[in-house]
Amino acid sequence: MIINKETVNEHLVLHVEGRLDTTQSDGFEKEITEILDQGHDKVVLDCTGLNYISSSGLRIFLIIQKKMMASGGQFKVCNLQPSIKEIFDMSGFSMIFNIFPDLDAALKA
Amino acid sequence: MIRKNSMSFRIITRVLLITISLFVVIMVGYYYYTSNIIKESTRENAIQLAGNLAGKIEQVLQPMEKIPQMVASTMALGLFDPDSLLPVLDAIIMNNPTVYGSAIAFEPDFFPDKGTHHMLYAHREGEGTQSMVIGGEDYNYFYMDWYQIPAMFQSPYWSEPYYDEGAGNILMATYSVPFYCRRQGELRFAGIATVDLELDWLSDLVNEARIFDTGYAFMLSANGMAVTHPDRAMIMNKSIFSNAEEWNAPDLREVGRDLLKGNSRFREYHIPGRDKLWIFYRTLESNQWAINVVFPDREMFASLHRMNILLIVFIFAGLVLLTLIISGVVNRLAAPLTHFAESARIIAEGNFDAKLPEVKTDDEMKELHNAFSHMQEELAEYVVNLKEATAAKEKIESELRIARDIQLAMIPHTFPPFPDLPQIDLYAMLKSAKEVGGDLYDFFVMDKDKFCFAIGDVSGKGVPASLFMAMTRTLLRNIADKESSPAFIMETLNKSLAFNNESNMFVTFFLGVLDLRSGKLSYANAGHNPPVLIRAEDGLTVFEPAKSIPLGLFEDFIYTEASVDLKPGDILFAYTDGVSEAENEQEELFNEDRMLEVIGAHKNSGPRELIGFMEAAIETHVQSFPQSDDITMMTIAYNG
Repeated sequence: MIINKETVNEHLVLHVEGRLDTTQSDGFEKEITEILDQGHDKVVLDCTGLNYISSSGLRIFLIIQKKMMASGGQFKVCNLQPSIKEIFDMSGFSMIFNIFPDLDAALKA
Repeated sequence: MIRKNSMSFRIITRVLLITISLFVVIMVGYYYYTSNIIKESTRENAIQLAGNLAGKIEQVLQPMEKIPQMVASTMALGLFDPDSLLPVLDAIIMNNPTVYGSAIAFEPDFFPDKGTHHMLYAHREGEGTQSMVIGGEDYNYFYMDWYQIPAMFQSPYWSEPYYDEGAGNILMATYSVPFYCRRQGELRFAGIATVDLELDWLSDLVNEARIFDTGYAFMLSANGMAVTHPDRAMIMNKSIFSNAEEWNAPDLREVGRDLLKGNSRFREYHIPGRDKLWIFYRTLESNQWAINVVFPDREMFASLHRMNILLIVFIFAGLVLLTLIISGVVNRLAAPLTHFAESARIIAEGNFDAKLPEVKTDDEMKELHNAFSHMQEELAEYVVNLKEATAAKEKIESELRIARDIQLAMIPHTFPPFPDLPQIDLYAMLKSAKEVGGDLYDFFVMDKDKFCFAIGDVSGKGVPASLFMAMTRTLLRNIADKESSPAFIMETLNKSLAFNNESNMFVTFFLGVLDLRSGKLSYANAGHNPPVLIRAEDGLTVFEPAKSIPLGLFEDFIYTEASVDLKPGDILFAYTDGVSEAENEQEELFNEDRMLEVIGAHKNSGPRELIGFMEAAIETHVQSFPQSDDITMMTIAYNG
């Protein structure tokens, strides 16, 4: 699991790459929590490189969402691969998250 | 006993090799140095010996030479009567024991009245002498060597040695001196004066000289003829050249030529078939006779060879002693190593208290001893830790096994579950990826007409997921005891699970309530994989995707429900994502399409058989790759 950070238009953009399965999720959770604890208003998670997500991974998305909601910030997800989008749809998570087809759309919204 | 590959053997061979090489170098150096010294000292001895002999011989010869010289001087004065000379000769013989005879021989017709030949001669006869006047046709002395040669050269002359038969085979040599007389006022050559010298004393003198055991001295005449020799047969019989010819010894001929030139030398020579010999030769001043000193090389170096043998014996004894000492020292030094090896074997068997050999020295062996005892302590400590860790692990594993039993006991696992309910036929399986898991299924009869079933998947795996699963299952039973609306049950369940859910765990959940009389299935889906409906008449239908989020996330989420009418023969296939996402080694998912294919291929099978086919298909896909997620399947056949 690789996370690359950049700041675009007041947004913290996190590009994630790899598989987010049970074995990877603990490390990812720790890393993401550290980043979010620095205090960011707007966070975009670019999932272009995300190949697989397990229910443990979904839980981390949920943690981010809840943290951002608690601090009154925005959390956006973009560039979900079709197989991942399907999981989001199937689990009803699409209803919880702000999902955008690409990064531009996410930054503009 | 020294083993061939032992340390002492290697050390001994190396030390011996070096020592022996050193000894060989020293021995060779010593041999050459010493043999040169011996050669030099032998040469000096030989020179001295030959010098002594020469001195003694000259002491005899030189006075002898004076006799005819004095006769010649007297003749030159002319103070004589030819007949009065005989008594003079008698006196000469009587006064000189080594003189055998003496002669005064005149030139032809020197005294016209006494004839052509005139020679006065006296010689020893018993105790006295006998004198005579000889010469004539029967004894024509003018052509004899002793007369002719000095007369020709007008100088004194030593004859070659010869045996005089008249004197009883005594070896003799003659010294001749020309003399002159005054006639008509001028000094004219008048004749030859001689002495005959006995040479027996010479043999005795020379033969007395002894060098080493068999070394000897001998004399050669000016022509190379043997004058004295320990082998008497050689005397006057063999010359150095005839012997060289006979023995085929060119070295000897070379020696002969050199010594006849009057040279003096110390050299070795070979006679084929005999030991190497050394010779020293020099000539006498008086008559150019050669004194030779000969000795065998073997005897010359005998002392050196004896010394060498002695040295070799001592060295060998020294080496044997050295070997024993080194072997003793090395064995004593290395003895603890054997014990260490034994201790190591005992330690390897698990006995960390193995006794170590006692080391009294403060050297490398002591370091080894310390390292060994440190290793023993560390090993003992490590094993204690390992035992504790293993015990702790075993305890956890045992607890997990118990937890698994408890968890499995929470879900129904008796099939067929309701033999007295002919309307439904049901089969379910749950296979956790770890000892305990987060998947669950459940089913129960609510009242005599309603049958409730549920399938769920808690986020994550292992102990946390299993606790959340247990909580879900318990709450479900409690809630469904009082309510029968799927949406209401879901909402209530969600409220309870979301309350104080600090860990943000959630569970996807599909809940169905089947009216056994009408076949109406009311259901609610909280983010779970939509089940597949196998219609007896129309084939497969996949339920629509969930419209609600998983349970446990937001307390006040509104869940909705829907319904579908089942006809007799319809089968419902519910599953968790462990089925569709079963992975093989290449990270390829089993996926939903393949799952639907399997269902399609076996849609006429019973609930238990269908799950069996699905399990087999998953196994074929996954092969030996470890199971990554919990797998749960449930089939419900509605018989009407």
